[in-house]
Amino acid sequence: MSSRDLTIIGYLGVLAAGITLQVLAIRSPGRLPSLGRVLSHAMQTRTGRVGIIVAWAWIGLHFFAR
Amino acid sequence: MPISLSGEGRFTVVTHAAGEAAENPPATQTSAPPVSFGRAAVSGLRQPIVAILLLIALFTTVAGKPLDGFLMLVVATLLIFDAARSRRRSAAGNPGASLAAQPVASAPADQPRRGLRRLLATAAWLVAGATYCTVVGSFSRYSWPATASVLALGCLMIAIGWQGPIRSRPPLRGKPLRRAWLWGIVLVSGGLLELGSLLEQPHLTTDSYAHPTISALTDPLLASHPGRSAVLGGWLLTGWFLAGR
Repeated sequence: MSSRDLTIIGYLGVLAAGITLQVLAIRSPGRLPSLGRVLSHAMQTRTGRVGIIVAWAWIGLHFFAR
Repeated sequence: MPISLSGEGRFTVVTHAAGEAAENPPATQTSAPPVSFGRAAVSGLRQPIVAILLLIALFTTVAGKPLDGFLMLVVATLLIFDAARSRRRSAAGNPGASLAAQPVASAPADQPRRGLRRLLATAAWLVAGATYCTVVGSFSRYSWPATASVLALGCLMIAIGWQGPIRSRPPLRGKPLRRAWLWGIVLVSGGLLELGSLLEQPHLTTDSYAHPTISALTDPLLASHPGRSAVLGGWLLTGWFLAGR
C-alpha cells in the first residue's frame, strides 16, 4: 500500500468517524451532541460565530479564488 | 438571567456560555479605572479565534493567496476593535455593551407564517442558489469573476453573522456538552492530516502525489463546470446550515 493510499484512507477514516458520530448523536441526542448543536454552542458569541463563518468563507476562497 | 456576587463584591452576569468565560471576561457593573484602547486591543488579541485568523492570514499570504490572507486580517482586526470597544464600555460601567463577551442577542421568536409563503421563500432561495452555482461554476477557477463572486458571498455572510443568529437555539448542556470534545478530535484529526500532507509537499504551491492534500484530491472534480457547480452547491448548503445556527 502506497503513501498516497494511506493518506486517502486517513481522510476517509476521519470522514467515517464524523458520520458515525453524527449518526450516534441523532440516535441518542441526550448522550452525544450533533455537529449542528456543537456549532450552535460555539457560535453563541460574536467571535465564535464570525470565526466559524470566516472559516467557511475561507474554504470557498481557497478552492475558487485567486 | 442569573446574577452572582463575586468575592470582590462585583456583580457578574452569568450566561450559559460558560466555556467562553475564560477567553471573554464577564461584564462588571461597578465602576473601574478607564482602560486604554491599546490595553483593550491586547485583550482582543488574546482571543484564540483572533490569533487563529491572524495565523491563517500570515500562512495563506506566504502560500501565495494574498486575498485570503487579507480577508482574514480584516476580520481579525474588526474582532479586535469590537472586543476593545466592548472592554472599554464594560470598564466604564455599561455592561450591556459587552458585545464580544456575551452571547449575541437571540433573534425574536419567529412569527407564525403561512406554509405557502414559507415554501415560496425556500423555493426562491433554492432557485437563487442553483443559479449562483451554475453561473459561478461556469467561471474557471482562480479567475477574477469566480474570485469576485465567492468573495462577495463570503463577505455578505460574515456581515450577516456579525449581526447575530437568525433564530435562537437551545444551549448545549450536561452530558452532550461534556462530550463535545469528540467532535474536536474528529476536526483536529482531519486538520492535522491535511497539515501533514501540506508539509510533505515539495513546495507550498506544488502538490505531492504521495501525500495529497484535500485540494489536490478535488482538483479533477473542480476541473469541470458540473464539478465546480456541485462543490459550490455543497459550500452554499454549508453556509445556509451555519447561518441558521
